[in-house]
Amino acid sequence: MKKVVLTVALFGIAFGADQIILKKPPASLGKYYPPQSNKFEFVGVMHEMSGAFYGIRLNINEGKWDKALEWANRLKDAYSRAQNMVPEWKQYYKPVLADQLVKAVQAKNTDQVLKISKELGETCQKCHADNQIAIKLVYHYPPFANLKMEDPVEFAQLSPKEYMRKTSDSMKALRIFLIQGDMPKAREAGEAFVERVRGTQAVCSKCHTDKASEQLIYNKAHEDALASIERLLKEPQPNREAIFRAMSVVGQACNRCHNTHLVPAMVQEAFRK
Amino acid sequence: MILVLLIISLFSCAKFEEIVREEDLLQRPEAKRCSDCHREIFEEWRNSRHAKAWISEHFRLESENYTKNKCLSCHAPHQVDPDKEPVLRAEFKEDGVGCVACHFKEETKAMHGPLKVWSPPHPSKQDLSYTKSNFCAGCHQETFKQWQAIKTQKSCQDCHMPSLGKKDLIQKFPFHFFHLSKPRHSHEFPALKAKPEDLKLEIKENKLYITNVGVPHNLPTADQGDPKLYITVIFDTPEGQQTIRKLLSAQAKTALEYGKPYEVELPQDFKNLKVLIHRRLSHSQEKELILEKGLN
Repeated sequence: MKKVVLTVALFGIAFGADQIILKKPPASLGKYYPPQSNKFEFVGVMHEMSGAFYGIRLNINEGKWDKALEWANRLKDAYSRAQNMVPEWKQYYKPVLADQLVKAVQAKNTDQVLKISKELGETCQKCHADNQIAIKLVYHYPPFANLKMEDPVEFAQLSPKEYMRKTSDSMKALRIFLIQGDMPKAREAGEAFVERVRGTQAVCSKCHTDKASEQLIYNKAHEDALASIERLLKEPQPNREAIFRAMSVVGQACNRCHNTHLVPAMVQEAFRK
Repeated sequence: MILVLLIISLFSCAKFEEIVREEDLLQRPEAKRCSDCHREIFEEWRNSRHAKAWISEHFRLESENYTKNKCLSCHAPHQVDPDKEPVLRAEFKEDGVGCVACHFKEETKAMHGPLKVWSPPHPSKQDLSYTKSNFCAGCHQETFKQWQAIKTQKSCQDCHMPSLGKKDLIQKFPFHFFHLSKPRHSHEFPALKAKPEDLKLEIKENKLYITNVGVPHNLPTADQGDPKLYITVIFDTPEGQQTIRKLLSAQAKTALEYGKPYEVELPQDFKNLKVLIHRRLSHSQEKELILEKGLN
């Protein structure tokens, strides 16, 4: 019975909230992430703690208290290091609990282990609830602010946001002029739209250096759709519906990329302001 | 007689090599060490982009302060071998693509190069792979594929390591007296600029065709960098002057492919057409004019 309870106590840490508030990560955390470090030292210590917690549980459930004690000491050590890594987060830590957990394991007191594990786990949970999502979005995604994109239509260096706005404006202009039947303007907007969409590929390869990930977006269907917009617009009476269908294929590629990158980019931008 | 025999035995080749061997040269020294003898080659290399492959501010920023691991090995390779992506070097990364990276081979513990030379301070091996484009293919993979598709006889080295004629390989007194001049090729590895005659311009049925007829790879070309080509077409129409701009980017996979006409649509009634083509290298902000030509 106690085995089950111990499992629940340690793994009952979960999020539950009606609202999530994202806090700007403290500056000192930056030194454990790119571009200052590529070793992800802070994440490493988190994994150490998580592993050690599991080591205690695993060994107690198997009756190996001596091994459980080794993991309790490892947990105490990692917990102590973690609290000194980010001074701004020191208040989340209760090192006395890590100490008490070692003593409880030493005493082979399952009830105490359960009680202290829960309390110690709650210190982790509080910090994760307050910070984990923001950290993921800020440090585990590329820093979009540093990117520059070159507009193929105006030969101007733009931020990704400005570039996307121009691409989106060209797309809307194409749609509007097609609906209004103004073909010369639709052709101009369509050419700009196609050039700008093709130009986005230049920025992806800054991180996606393997061809497979680029293919998720810039695949044959996507390129065929762009080519068909170009081809249809050259016809004397362009087939409006066919152009809209091709635009929707291009739109799917936009969505795939936005679903992955737009939220982190928005959060990063908000924290920069 | 004994003295003569002693001298002969001392200066038999093997013995002589043993005496003058400079062991540190086989311990992967920094490029500066090679300049003790190969001063001219070192100076050429120092002016090259290979020398700046690691220390370039552009690379530092693009690699996010050297944290993008995938980029690093070609910017400070341990050993460059034909057709093989290198691994990252542990020492003297600031040398970038330095002397040892290309010339020292772990397998033979010797300096390899295209020439047959006797070089007592370090063992040398003639290796003709240095004259072939495959040698560059481990890092310049995309450009190599483009070049390969064209099936030209011209190698990477023919253009990017131009011949300097016969020159001394070393400039160290008194050893340079023992060497004959050898065919030398530039170690500046120039990123050559296309010449106007490399691009053929034609107008047919209200279309401008631009064809790369002189450079045996895409323009622009790169593996991870993003050099660009700016095509500006200016012409008069009854409504006034108009400009068409086309941006070709290695990373956007748009380029003037060798022998394949690039098409620019023109209006029905244009005149006084002028084409300007500029390029911008990955590491530079400067746009350099390649061609300015009027077509009527």
